[in-house]
Amino acid sequence: MIGSPDVVAFTKEDEFGQTSPDPWGLPEEFSIPLYPPADSNPWAKTSYAKFTKDFILISEFSEQVGPQPLLTIPDDPKVCGTFDLNYFSLRIMSVDYQASFVGHPPGSGYPRLSFVEDSRVVLGDSKEGAFAYVHHLTLYDLEARGFVRPFCMAYISADERKIMLQFQEMSLRFSQASECLKAGNRRAFAKELQRKLQDLEYTHSVLQREEGLQREAGPQSMYSAHVVEKANELANVEKSIYEHRDLLRQISSYYCYPRRDPHAVTCQRCMTECLSECEALLDKYAKLANPFSYTAKGRKREDGQGESDGEGGEEEVEEDEEGIKRRSSYTPQLIKAKSAKCFDKRLKTLQELCDDTFYEATMELLKETERSFRGDLCYLHTRRLDKALRKKQRVTNFLFEEDLSDDVEDDGGILQPFCAVNHAVENYTLLNPPPIVLGPEPLKLLKPPDSIDPISETSNTLESELGLGDNHLESSPSNQTLETLESSEETKGSFSSDKSGMGPAEKQQSLGNVSDPPDFDLTTDPDQITDLERESSSEDMETTAGEDEGDNGGDQPPLSFLEVASELEANSEDDSERFSVKTCEIQSDLLVPIDSACCMAQEGFLYEASAPEADPLQGHSSCSQSSQTLVVNQEPQSLLPLQDDYFVGSPCTEKTVAGLELPIGHFGDAVSRNSFEDGSDCTMSASTGSDRAASPLGYGGTVTLRHRKKAGQGALRFVRQYPFAMQALWCLLSGRTLVVLGADEGRVRRLVAALALFVPGPGKCGERVQAWLCCPFTLTDLQRWKLIGLQRMASPVGSSMLYSLSRYSRYISILDADQKTLRCPAYQGQLLANLADHRTFIRRGSTYFLHTQSTLCHLAAKAFLFTFTHHLHLPVSSTEGPEVVEGRRRCFLQEQLGLGEEDSQILLYLSHLITQRYLQAATGSSGAAPCFSFKYTTSVLYKI
Amino acid sequence: MSSGCPPQSPAVAKSEVPVEGECPLLAATFAYWDNILGPRVRYIWAPKGDQLMFLSDGEVTFLANHTLNGEILRSAECGAVDVKFFVLAEKGVIIVSLIFDGELKGDKNTCALSIILPQTELAFYLPLHTICVERLKHVIRKGRIWMQKGYNIISVLSLEIIPIMELLASMKSHSVQEDIDIKDTVLNDDDIGDSCHEDFLHKAISSHLQTCGCSIVVGSNPEKVNKIVRTLCLFLTPAERKCSRLCKADSSFKYDTGLFVQGLLKDSTGSFVLPFRQVLYSPYPTTHIDVDINTVKQMPPCHEHTFNQRRYMRSELSALWKTDSEEDIPPDTVIYTDETFTPDLNIFQDVMHKDTLVKSFIDEVFMLKPGLSLRSTYLAQFLLLLHRKALTLLKYIEDETQKGKKPFRSLRSLKTDLDLTVEGDLNIVMAFAEKLRAGLHSFVFGKPFYTSMQERDILMTL
Repeated sequence: MIGSPDVVAFTKEDEFGQTSPDPWGLPEEFSIPLYPPADSNPWAKTSYAKFTKDFILISEFSEQVGPQPLLTIPDDPKVCGTFDLNYFSLRIMSVDYQASFVGHPPGSGYPRLSFVEDSRVVLGDSKEGAFAYVHHLTLYDLEARGFVRPFCMAYISADERKIMLQFQEMSLRFSQASECLKAGNRRAFAKELQRKLQDLEYTHSVLQREEGLQREAGPQSMYSAHVVEKANELANVEKSIYEHRDLLRQISSYYCYPRRDPHAVTCQRCMTECLSECEALLDKYAKLANPFSYTAKGRKREDGQGESDGEGGEEEVEEDEEGIKRRSSYTPQLIKAKSAKCFDKRLKTLQELCDDTFYEATMELLKETERSFRGDLCYLHTRRLDKALRKKQRVTNFLFEEDLSDDVEDDGGILQPFCAVNHAVENYTLLNPPPIVLGPEPLKLLKPPDSIDPISETSNTLESELGLGDNHLESSPSNQTLETLESSEETKGSFSSDKSGMGPAEKQQSLGNVSDPPDFDLTTDPDQITDLERESSSEDMETTAGEDEGDNGGDQPPLSFLEVASELEANSEDDSERFSVKTCEIQSDLLVPIDSACCMAQEGFLYEASAPEADPLQGHSSCSQSSQTLVVNQEPQSLLPLQDDYFVGSPCTEKTVAGLELPIGHFGDAVSRNSFEDGSDCTMSASTGSDRAASPLGYGGTVTLRHRKKAGQGALRFVRQYPFAMQALWCLLSGRTLVVLGADEGRVRRLVAALALFVPGPGKCGERVQAWLCCPFTLTDLQRWKLIGLQRMASPVGSSMLYSLSRYSRYISILDADQKTLRCPAYQGQLLANLADHRTFIRRGSTYFLHTQSTLCHLAAKAFLFTFTHHLHLPVSSTEGPEVVEGRRRCFLQEQLGLGEEDSQILLYLSHLITQRYLQAATGSSGAAPCFSFKYTTSVLYKI
Repeated sequence: MSSGCPPQSPAVAKSEVPVEGECPLLAATFAYWDNILGPRVRYIWAPKGDQLMFLSDGEVTFLANHTLNGEILRSAECGAVDVKFFVLAEKGVIIVSLIFDGELKGDKNTCALSIILPQTELAFYLPLHTICVERLKHVIRKGRIWMQKGYNIISVLSLEIIPIMELLASMKSHSVQEDIDIKDTVLNDDDIGDSCHEDFLHKAISSHLQTCGCSIVVGSNPEKVNKIVRTLCLFLTPAERKCSRLCKADSSFKYDTGLFVQGLLKDSTGSFVLPFRQVLYSPYPTTHIDVDINTVKQMPPCHEHTFNQRRYMRSELSALWKTDSEEDIPPDTVIYTDETFTPDLNIFQDVMHKDTLVKSFIDEVFMLKPGLSLRSTYLAQFLLLLHRKALTLLKYIEDETQKGKKPFRSLRSLKTDLDLTVEGDLNIVMAFAEKLRAGLHSFVFGKPFYTSMQERDILMTL
């Protein structure tokens, strides 16, 4: 019997499917390959392109030299590589797609400007592996043939699908750039016409005078050839004046011209401004309708002052017939009526053809366009889908996702039109950045931080125990970490706060000089090294790169809240100013007292709390009020539509850090308040730790790929290196505060940054994470922070810190970064097994980050399900007691979702957070009742 | 005739195609670069029926000529088909041109097959662009062979131009909306099993996702068919929904290659004849759902489907090459025309792989109260999870293989690390990833499959 191995021996692997040529067989050029290249390597489809990454090319069809490339964005020769720009310009400019009549139309005495609409073409050169979106436009130039100069802006990519799938957005962005350029060009053209008219009128006056003198000098009724020539010249000039005045009229009429392009993007404000300018010019030259005015004035001057011809120009212009002073910096010239031959003159550059402001705005728009489309299509595409889907689940986004602030992108992912010039003038980039920015979106309105501390377990409200009735908690100071993480990361071992004043270069130098002892926390793993290497060489890989794009993050996975922690690190000093402004904006809100109990006392809304003793989960006589009363048992729609704007609460809930008000030092408060009032960067020195100034961190600005990856990399390192990582993650996800204790600030900060990914509802500015604390913490801090980096030091302060640790040890888990130990309750669940498997084969932090995103998204979905499954939380009949309902909930978790005891705690905690958040928004209250929960569970010490 | 006059151009041949309903296509043209006269239009197809806009023959000719401008510089490889896409606001039209080389009267000429639409239809057309282009590309392959033989290409091109006109007209009236109201779907039922059997729904959605969101729903009751169509479309992206079609209440549309989900009505005898060739030419494998008898069948996964499709295409082109007479245009099916190739007609098979992802989703979503937005939110969470898992998987493979430079050998680790040990789950996530990175299936699973095919072929020759 013949088996497979025997058969394979008859075959040649490389030539499978290509049998010996059959003379009657179909030639390959008429067939299709059985194995397309994409099958052997799906990433290599575009590798034969001669350029390294996508770029924008502006080309012109010059009337002198034909199609020629003018500039590229980015302006780096490396980008284009060996790609022949001249050839490609020839290809894309070889057709006048806007073919319309220019010049003298039949029956018209004057040349006519044609207002042609832009045309858009997608074409490619399969041989070169280059595809382009080409936006054709026409600019006006008084010196050009037919007064028009054809240009095109092309987005060149190796991926044809990328262009077609994003055609509409590309078209919109280039239309904006084109309209901006054309608006500037019309303005420049009008100015050019103005100068030309001045020249012509001046020339006319000179010629007229000369002609008059010659006529007078000659015999009566006899005209010499010279006189006739002068007269003809004069007539030409007069004709030219009329023509140019007509051109001015035409360019003014552009604004009344009905647009035929439904996809053109025009700014009404620009239109109005340009129209009024042109009308003013038109009025001005309408008054000079009598070309003889110059002559008349000249004569007057001659008669009166005997002024010479050559000096007349400027003064003549300055005063018109009505004696109105007009200032002009331009001195009219004596010109020839006929313009120079085509090849004798120098054509204006693109910049000269356009008003400076508009030109610069256009270039900015194009740069932004190039940035926004950078990267691999699959990442761009997924990011858009991701965002659209997250918009539909605002009720749970706060748990692990980044905030979806409003932007100029609508639901369909299409960019909304805007005016580049006006917005640029008004600091557009700060106020309203374009939506497809690879960096994180800037905050427009700071939403209330997660101000509540719900519990998942049967809990104790310590309020009464501690005698703290007032729920209003001042914005407690903290050096709140994440913003200062960057300096920590960059300076590695040296964490002096002085570093914050260093420039990036200095920081880099500092980084290079630091010599840390080898430590597995601080040692960069091979993954990171590779990433850095790739980053440095990423320019070569742009078009096909996945995460390894240069500094753009073009194909970065969609940003989510998980990234915030690392993004915050990226907040450089550059952002501090913006941050300060935001801080000022929320200042008033922060200080508004809140009623934290408002959502606890809604009659008929909240489920009556089950009796503590009836709770099967209660191992102790704890008050279960909080968890029980915060079950949603009312139809969400009756409260508010889930898919609509969820955050109906006012920003006054900004700092509703509900909970226990412990005696916080006045100094701390003062620092905090002053910081807000000053509008300065209230992030305190990371190293001092003596203050606890609140730092509601903002994020935004340029975030490098390295920063975004860092949290994922750190988390992966943590998971690989600590066998008890799963227990640590479980603590965070189930709401138990985790304290990372260590002497080395850098190590602690890195661990905190990595673990911050797993803090549910960390707050928009990471308020629930304290990266570095150098003083003893209090119970209030445990209420506020779910992840704390704590300095270990040998000093009186250090001993008090250790005291606080031991005092509160029943409420917290302690990860000792120095001893490599973890003290926390035992976790034996399965839910996190996949997330914290130290034997994972995931190689890169960015991949692990994606995996984490998926897993946490899954958890959030389950928590949503649990929260809003009505029958779980409502009694089926009036005779049904709370214990039955509680049993049903437990049963659901265990049987339906298949969760064990510890895993259930995660979902209960997440569900609790959702509930509180939901009720807070539904009632418009500032926060739920403060409560601090804990569970009396024996902690176990884990060691490596 | 005055010697100063240019020679008269021969009149452009034109045919009017009767199309039911409103056809957004203004015209289709075939033009070529004449070595003496320059760009010339050879043939115009114009829909006969409700038109959104009228273009005279002169205007059509002007536009079609423009599509060839600049192509004198063309340096593409022989047989390559390049696509050009114009949005000419001055003329208010969109033109899609496929540029290729072909032999006319013994000379090699650059040719262009174009379709012209009003610019107002841009948003309507863009999602359908890939479908149209892929179908036209294949008919061009056939047309090139016809030209090589000296036959008239127009008859071959008409084989696809007319169906595309019909497709666009049908999509104009029956395409699925971008925003689907969950109330119009099975997911709004009070309880699972109200509209259809629980297991059937699970199997249908699971298979639908395993075949990249590509499904045909057949049945006798148009309302029932459309409800399932809309339900399946909930799991697609907005752009993919625009490439899906509801079934017509009175009579059935023809099956159209390339649509994601399409509802098809059975005839009075209770049957629907599915064209083998067209189904095979779909870019993705297809799930076949019969709502009358609650059956779900699916085609083999992407790598097998692509392989089968390409073999079939090659066979079809070979058959055309061997045709002796211009009158004998081979029918769409080549099953009996090529003796060396016998396609496996049994392309729809039972859904073999169960999943947990869809199963738990279906079980859980009905626990949420209907009529509110809860289910929509939960659906969004489910889709987000799938998209993220797909991206993670893609990234994982990318890391492992250094972007395809090395073969992928760690499928088992992938399944464990990414929690995709259940085969159905892996298939769903792979299908999502395939849409992001075409060729992924072949890259991951292709080698063993090709080897087995190789073995089979060798054995058959022995």
